[in-house]
Amino acid sequence: MQASPLANFQATVEQLETSGSQLDGIPVDLEESIRFAGARLTQAAGVLLRLPQEVIAQAIILFTRFWIGPEGGSLAEFGAAHISAGSLYLAAKLSAFPKSARSIVNVYAFLDTIPSTYADLEQLWRENNPEEYYVSPGTYERRRSTLFNMEKQILKVLGFQLQVTLPYTLAITYLQALSAFDDPGATDLAKRTFAHLNSALLSPQLLLLTHQPPTLATAAIYLAAKETNVKLPGVDWWTIFDTDREELGFLVVGLLSVETFATAEKAKWADRKVPLTVEEVNAEMDRRQSENAGE
Amino acid sequence: MASRWANDEADKAEDARRKKEKEEKKRQKLAKQQAEQEAAAARAAAEREQASRPAKRRRLSASPEKEGGASGVSGEAKVLRFEAGSWGPCRHINNFETLNHIEEGSYGWVSRAKEIGTSEIVALKKVKMDYVNDGFPITALREIAMLQKARHKNIVDLKEVVVGDSLDEVVLVMEFIEHDLKTLQEDMAEPFLASEVKTLLRQLVSGVDFLHQNHIMHRDLKTSNILLNNRGALKLADFGMARFIPPPNAPLTQLVVTLWYRAPELLLGTTTYSTEVDMWSVGCIFGELLLKEPLLPGKNEVDELAKIFALCGLPDEKSWPGFYRLPNAKSLRLPRDTRGPKPGPVIRTKFPLLTNKGVELLTELLSMNPEGRPTAGDMLNHAYFTESPKPKPPEMFPTFPSKAGQERRRKRSPNAPQRGDAPGMGGAEIDFSGIFAGREEEQKGAGFMLKMG
Repeated sequence: MQASPLANFQATVEQLETSGSQLDGIPVDLEESIRFAGARLTQAAGVLLRLPQEVIAQAIILFTRFWIGPEGGSLAEFGAAHISAGSLYLAAKLSAFPKSARSIVNVYAFLDTIPSTYADLEQLWRENNPEEYYVSPGTYERRRSTLFNMEKQILKVLGFQLQVTLPYTLAITYLQALSAFDDPGATDLAKRTFAHLNSALLSPQLLLLTHQPPTLATAAIYLAAKETNVKLPGVDWWTIFDTDREELGFLVVGLLSVETFATAEKAKWADRKVPLTVEEVNAEMDRRQSENAGE
Repeated sequence: MASRWANDEADKAEDARRKKEKEEKKRQKLAKQQAEQEAAAARAAAEREQASRPAKRRRLSASPEKEGGASGVSGEAKVLRFEAGSWGPCRHINNFETLNHIEEGSYGWVSRAKEIGTSEIVALKKVKMDYVNDGFPITALREIAMLQKARHKNIVDLKEVVVGDSLDEVVLVMEFIEHDLKTLQEDMAEPFLASEVKTLLRQLVSGVDFLHQNHIMHRDLKTSNILLNNRGALKLADFGMARFIPPPNAPLTQLVVTLWYRAPELLLGTTTYSTEVDMWSVGCIFGELLLKEPLLPGKNEVDELAKIFALCGLPDEKSWPGFYRLPNAKSLRLPRDTRGPKPGPVIRTKFPLLTNKGVELLTELLSMNPEGRPTAGDMLNHAYFTESPKPKPPEMFPTFPSKAGQERRRKRSPNAPQRGDAPGMGGAEIDFSGIFAGREEEQKGAGFMLKMG
C-alpha cells in the first residue's frame, strides 16, 4: 500500500526510549543541547545556501532521525556538524535545488568561525573576516570526502528512508478550509503558523518525529490564531483535521515550550560553543568529569 | 570459484548472532500479538460500558500494554489516523545468498538470490558507484525514493536496501520476477495473441497511470524494463531514469529514454517535456508486442528520427505547432513537396491484422505532437480494451521457462543514454528528403503479402 501524503514516518517507542549516544554514556541533557544546536546549525546553513524552508526542514528531520534509537548514530562516533552537513547535502540533492559539495563545505566553514553557539549575529556581521573561513583546496578535498562519508552513514542508519511529509502546505490548506484568509489579520496568522511549525523542528520533544502533519498543522494554527486574535469557528474545528482535544493541548504546550527551552539553552551555554564534533564532545565530557571530581 | 557470498568461518558467528536476533524478534512479536489481543479485549469491554473517555494521545513510553485507544474512537468524534511506518538501519548483504547472475545493465548488476532466513527468492540489484564527485549517485537515490513511493501491483516491489561491509556496496532487494518481456519475446515462436497483448498493455498502462498520477515520469520504458511473472502479472522495473515531474518550464535533460523508445520531441532536443514521453514509449512497446520485434530500432539519433518519420509521417506546423522552434528542428531538411498532401502515417499498413480501434489507439500514441497523445488514464478507457477479443485474464497466461532463474541473457539491446553523451544531432544539416523515395510502391502492395519460398 502507498503511504498517505498526510502521514510522516514516526519514531517507534523503542527508538524514543534510548539512543546510540546514551548507550555510549553521553548524558541526556548534553545530547539534547547538541541536537538543538545541530538543528539550528542546519537551519542557518540552509538559509545561507538560499534553500527553501521545505528542503531545510527535511534536512533537520533527517538530522534528528539519525540520532534516535539504540541503532541510531552516536555522538561519540559522529560529529553533529558533520551529520548536519550530510543531511543538508542529501536533502538538497533530492530536491529541485541541489547544492555542490563545495558550497556546503564553504558554508559550514563559515558557520564554524562563529565564536559561540548563541553569539550576537549583528555584531558578527560587522566583524566579518573572510580569511577566517577560507577553505584551501587540500582542506576542501578532505572535508568533501568526510561529507560523502557522512552522507552514506545517514543513508545506512535511516535505511534509505528519506521520505519526509511536512505540515506547511497542509497548514495553508487548513487555513483556507477555515476561511481564515477572509480575515484582515490573515497574513500574520499564516506567518505565525509557519513560525510555530519551524520551531517544532527544533523541539527537544521531537514533535515532528512523534506527531503527524495534520495534528502539527492544526496545533500551529490554533496557537497562531490565539496570538493574532483571529477568530476561528467557535466549535471544535480541530476534529475536522483529525486532531482531538487532548493531542491539541499537548502540542500547544509542546510548541510553546520550545522558547523556554531555547532561553534555558542560551543561558546554559552563555558564550561557549555547544560541542558539535566528536573531539569537542570528548572535551566536554572530560570537563564535566573534572568538575564533578572537584566538588 | 566459490561464490563471494559463500559462508566462511567469520560468517558462522554472524549467523549465530542473527539466529538469536530472529528468535528475539519472534518472541517480541508473540508478546506484541498477545498485548494487542488484550488491548482489543479491553477496548471491547470499554465499549460495552459505553464509557466516553477521550482518546489517548500516542503513548511515548514503552509499557506492556500496547496503545489501544489511539486508533481513534473518542467520545464525540472519529479521528482518522494514518499508518506511516518507521525507519531502521540497513541490514547486511550477507543475509542473502546469491544464486545466479541475471543481467548487467547501465545502472548496475542484477542477480537472483535467496534470503537465508526465510528462503525467499529475491532479485538483488547492486548500485553502481560512478561519478563519485557528487557523492552517492543521485540516480540511485531517485530510484529508491520512487520505488518506495510507488507501491502498485504493476510496479516492482522494493523490499529493502542492504549494505555490504563497505558503504560503497549498496544493494536493492526487490521481488524476483521470472521474465522480462524482451527476452521472453525473443524466445517465443509466435507473437503474443491479440488478447494477451491487450492484458499486457492494460497492466503496463495501469502502472504508468499510477506513476503519472503520483507525479513520476519513468523516462526509460522499454520491453527489457518490463517484467512478467509466471502468473501473468506485469511489473515495471528500473527506475534509474525516473524523476518527479518538476515545476513547469524547469529544464530537464533530453538525454533520457533508450533510443528505440525515445519520443520525437526528445530527439529534437526539447528540455521541457512531461509524461507524454512515457506515452510514446508505450506506443513503441504496443507495436513491439504485436510485431515480436522492436518497432523503431534506429541505429543512431538521425536514423531513429528517419524511422519515426517513415512510420508516422512528417510533422508540420499544423499537426505540431511549435515543432520548428525545437532546438534540433532547424538542422533538419525535410522533403518539401507542396503539390500533394504530405505523407501520412502508415501504421494501418504496418499492422494489417490489428483492429481499427487498435490502429486508432496506436496512431494516437505515436502522435508526433506530444499534445496529441492520450494520457495513461485516457488510454485505459479506450474502446480497444473493451472490444473483442477481450483481454485474457492474467491467470490464464501461458507459463514459460525462466531465463532469469537459470542462465545469463545473451542478446544486447541499447541502454538508456549515459550522462555526458553528447546531446543534439551533431550540428550538421541532416537531409531527410530521401526517406519517402521508395514509398509509392510500398503503399500499393499494402494489405496482404505473399510469402515466397
